[in-house]
Amino acid sequence: MTSAALGLAFRDASGRIVAALASRFRDLDLAEDSFADACARALEAWSREGPPRDAAAWLYQTAYRCAVDTLRRRRTEHRFAPELQRNVIEEQPMPDEWTPIPDERLRLIFVCCHPAVAPDARAALTLRLVCGLSTREIARAFLLSEPTLAQRLIRAKRKIAEAGVSFEVPGPEAWPERLDAVLSTIEIAYGRAHEDAAGSGPHFNYAAEMLDITRVLAELLPHEAQTSAMAAIVRFAEARRPARVDEHGMMIPLAAQDPSAWIESLIIDARRYLDRAVSLQAHEPRVLHARIHAAWCARRSLAEPAPWSEILALYDELLKVRDDSIVRLNRAVALAEVQGVDAGLGEIEALAAQPLDDFLPYHAVRADLLCRAGRRDEARIAYDAALSLVATAAERLWLERQRAALTE
Amino acid sequence: MQYMLLIYEDERIYGPDRESPVARERRAQHIAYSRELGATRLAGSGLKDSTAATTIRTAAGKQTIHDGPFAESREQLAGYYLIDVPDLDAALAVAKKVPLSQNGAVEVRPLLVAG
Repeated sequence: MTSAALGLAFRDASGRIVAALASRFRDLDLAEDSFADACARALEAWSREGPPRDAAAWLYQTAYRCAVDTLRRRRTEHRFAPELQRNVIEEQPMPDEWTPIPDERLRLIFVCCHPAVAPDARAALTLRLVCGLSTREIARAFLLSEPTLAQRLIRAKRKIAEAGVSFEVPGPEAWPERLDAVLSTIEIAYGRAHEDAAGSGPHFNYAAEMLDITRVLAELLPHEAQTSAMAAIVRFAEARRPARVDEHGMMIPLAAQDPSAWIESLIIDARRYLDRAVSLQAHEPRVLHARIHAAWCARRSLAEPAPWSEILALYDELLKVRDDSIVRLNRAVALAEVQGVDAGLGEIEALAAQPLDDFLPYHAVRADLLCRAGRRDEARIAYDAALSLVATAAERLWLERQRAALTE
Repeated sequence: MQYMLLIYEDERIYGPDRESPVARERRAQHIAYSRELGATRLAGSGLKDSTAATTIRTAAGKQTIHDGPFAESREQLAGYYLIDVPDLDAALAVAKKVPLSQNGAVEVRPLLVAG
C-alpha cells in the first residue's frame, strides 16, 4: 500500500520535484540525491503514519529540507564558499505542505539538452532527471549496459556542473540552436519508445512521459511552430499504437493498419497542436512531418484509399527544406504507390547506399519494391540485410513473413 | 565564472612573420574585439608561430626539451582570451564572436578556481 502510494507519487512528481530542486540549488546531483533521500524517508514515515494528504508536496518539502541540510553540512565543513552557500539557503523561505511545486521542467530540459552536453548523453539524462526513469530502464531502452549508461550520466552531470551550464531557459535569440538540441533529443527518446511497436518492451512506459514533455514544451513555448509540431507528431504516432501489431505480435505497416483501432482522442489532440504549428510556420520541416502524420490519421477505414498522393506531395515539400537520404527514402515509398514500382525503385537506387547501410527501413523498403518488380533474388538479399539489422520482434516477424512469401 | 578561450587556427595563412595583409587585418579585428569586450576581458594575446614553440616533456619523471609545439596538427594554438562572465552560455556567446579565419576552433574552458 505504502510503496504503491510512493510509486504513484514518484511517477507523477519526480520530474517536477527534481527540476524544482535543481533550478533552486543549481546542482543536479544535490537535487537527485535529496529526492532519493526523501523517497527513503517516505517509505519509513508513510508505513508508520499512512500516506500524507498530498504525497508530492510532502516529497518536495522533505527533499528541499534534505538539500538544505546537505548544504549546511558542506558549509560547516568549509568545503565551499560560505557567502555563496548562505545566499542559496536563506534567501527564500522553506516550502511547507501547502507550497505548490514550481514547474521548472522546461529549464531542466534545456540544461539536459545543452549543446555542451555530449549528444549521446542528452536523451538519457532527460529521461533520468525529467521523466524519473531508473538507470536500469534507460540502459535497457538504449541497449547499453547499466554501468556504461551510469558512467555516461555521471560524465554529463559533471560537465554541466564544471562548465557552468546555466539553469535559465535561453532567450528566443538562442532558440535556433538550443531548441533544436531539445527537440532532437526528444525525437531520439521518443524514437526508442516508438520503435517498440508491440509496446511490451522497456521503452513503452515512457511513451506517456513523452506526451507529457511535448505538452509542457508546447505550452511554455507556444509561439514556436516546432514545439507544437513535436507535440502533434508524438500524439499522432501514439494514437496509432493499438493498430501497429496483429494478434501474433507481428508489425502491421501503416497503410494496412485499421484506422478504427486508432485512438481518436489523441488524434483530436494532435490536430489542435498541428493547427497552431501550421498557422505559425507551415513549411518548417517538423511541421511538415506532423502534416504527414495528420494525412495518415485522417483515414477513416481500410475501405478508404490510402492517402498516397497527399503523402507524396508533402514529401515533395519536405524535400525542398530538408534534403536528406531518409526523406528521399520515405518519398520513394510514396512515389512507388503513386507512379509505380519502377519510379520508386529508381529513386532508391539513386540514393548513395553507404550512409543507409545500417538503416533497416532502407533494406526493407528496397526489398519490398524489388519483390513487387519481380526481382526476387535481389529482394531476398535485401530482406536478409534488413533481418540482420532488426531490433524488435514485431519487425522480425513481419520481415520473415515477407521473405517467406518470396520463396513460395 | 572565468573562462579561457583558446583559439586554434591554421597559422600558415598568416605567414611566418605575421605581417601579411591577412595577419594585419586579423590583428585589427582582435583590437576592435578586445575593446568591445571591455571589462569582460581579463587578459588575452596572440601567440607567435608554433615554430617558435619549445616543449618540455616529462616522461617517468624525466624531463626532455623538444623543439616545436605539444601536438603537431594542422590547427595550432594561436592565441587566447581570459574572460569573466556569469555562465557557459555567456562564455559561448563571447567565444562565437572571436575573430577567426574561415576554418578554426575556439575551445572554451572554465578555470579551476573562479577568481
